[in-house]
Amino acid sequence: MRSPYSNQEVIILENVSKRYFLYPHRVMELKKAVLHLPTFVKATRARQAFWALRDVSLTVRRGESVGIIGPNGAGKSTLLRIVSGLAPLTKGRLTVRGRVSPLLELGAGFHPQMNGRDNAIINAVLLGLSRKEAQEKLPEIAEFSELGEFIDQPMRTYSSGMYVRLGFAVAVHVRPEILLVDEVLAVGDAEFQRKCFDHIEKLRRDKVTIVLVSHDLENVKHFCDRAILINHGVVAADGKPQEVVDEYLSSPSGFAVAPANRADS
Amino acid sequence: MAAASSASYAGSLERLNLRGVARTWELLLLLTARDVKLRYEGTVLGLLWTLAKPLLQALVFSFALSTVLRIRVGSDAPYVLFLLAALFPWTWFQASIQSSAASFSNNAALLKKVYFPRFVLPLSAVTSQLLHFALSIPILVVLLVIAGYYPRPTWLLGLPLLTAIQLLMLAGAVLLVASFNVFLRDLEHLVEVLMTLWFYLTPILYPLSLVEERLGAVIYLNPMAPLIQAWRNLFLYDQLPGVEIWPALVFTALALLAGSITFKTLEGQFEVAL
Repeated sequence: MRSPYSNQEVIILENVSKRYFLYPHRVMELKKAVLHLPTFVKATRARQAFWALRDVSLTVRRGESVGIIGPNGAGKSTLLRIVSGLAPLTKGRLTVRGRVSPLLELGAGFHPQMNGRDNAIINAVLLGLSRKEAQEKLPEIAEFSELGEFIDQPMRTYSSGMYVRLGFAVAVHVRPEILLVDEVLAVGDAEFQRKCFDHIEKLRRDKVTIVLVSHDLENVKHFCDRAILINHGVVAADGKPQEVVDEYLSSPSGFAVAPANRADS
Repeated sequence: MAAASSASYAGSLERLNLRGVARTWELLLLLTARDVKLRYEGTVLGLLWTLAKPLLQALVFSFALSTVLRIRVGSDAPYVLFLLAALFPWTWFQASIQSSAASFSNNAALLKKVYFPRFVLPLSAVTSQLLHFALSIPILVVLLVIAGYYPRPTWLLGLPLLTAIQLLMLAGAVLLVASFNVFLRDLEHLVEVLMTLWFYLTPILYPLSLVEERLGAVIYLNPMAPLIQAWRNLFLYDQLPGVEIWPALVFTALALLAGSITFKTLEGQFEVAL
């Protein structure tokens, strides 16, 4: 391996930048593009570059649980999306070692016409299991989701809570080595939330690396052994959760959301 | 901007290793099964529609063309057989392209939230239509036997050969169409109209000889013409395709090349456009 980093470092970002373009108007219809070619070209030229992340370098070690905090539009979600492979980087280098399970949106890709069982299997394969592994995990997933007989019903009959429960159950049962969590735990009833946190705690003890984006600073303090403060697309602080949270809370003005930054979520 | 960027996923989002290939294959099978399962969900006849639809369509066409318009195909086979031998493979072609055009744009939620080999989405439309096509072949065989045409061993070579050509051609074509459709939703509607035109430009309802004299070499601009002709010659006359199929081969190569390049180039922009 030519990498200077040890195998213990499972997520490595080196000078990662992510640029999005903001267009004054959304010109994507064929008719408009053809009929108003000059406008189309102008609109494309008038696009504004917006850097959601700027020169971010950080490493996460195996088994660490890291909380990402920061104001809205700071680049937290962009960071998770980049690590999950969903967003290509504009600049820099990213290395990820291990199976990533992104809990960005639970149950993305569930098909309402199919039953919970079939959906769970497809979802688990999408998240990286083989079909055989998915089938083996199915009883556990069904039990954890507490769906009972509903597991054999088409998912259009599910309540939103049931949807999320199955989504979470699949996501945590694909034996992730790296779990990315983006605010999704604010869903479901209190008891199920408790259960989710217990399960994440268990994964943590099993040395699963966890990156958690949260606005719940208490959660971050309680759960994480490291916190990273992101603001305006750069790492503003990185260290012990208590210290980073204090720094975040004590900063008087600097963390107001810049107007342009709102567009990234 | 020539910014250097790279992302590597050691062992996670397996891109090229064996495990990754196996998983992609399984995903393709699962999505194909889902597609087949859901297609006739809630209908009484279910999967039987796969067979009933092209048959009924053939009856309508043969009534219109052979009874009303009295077209002469110059074939000793009954018109229905002449038609079905071309209509079944064409249906696979047309239905694949139409149902896959929106396969990226209709799965925005999935594409934005989970990383997986995305090309399986349009490909699963092709494979599920291939399954429907495969199921329709026994119907054709039964009808052929009734009319006194018996399949010969040449089918064992001809079927996989023509299937492979059309499968590869479709793989390239759907990647191209589905990728562009993310940015230009008009395409899925345009494709629908163009496929109807293409249907009439291809010798399905009529024999190639009907237009051969008037159009001459122009026919070879339509890669589906020799391919459909090859299907028909195989089903009706047990003939293997010869060199005249070259336009289909050229088109297949071009479609694969254009499809994979387009997909590779545009995939990175999906997250912004969807």
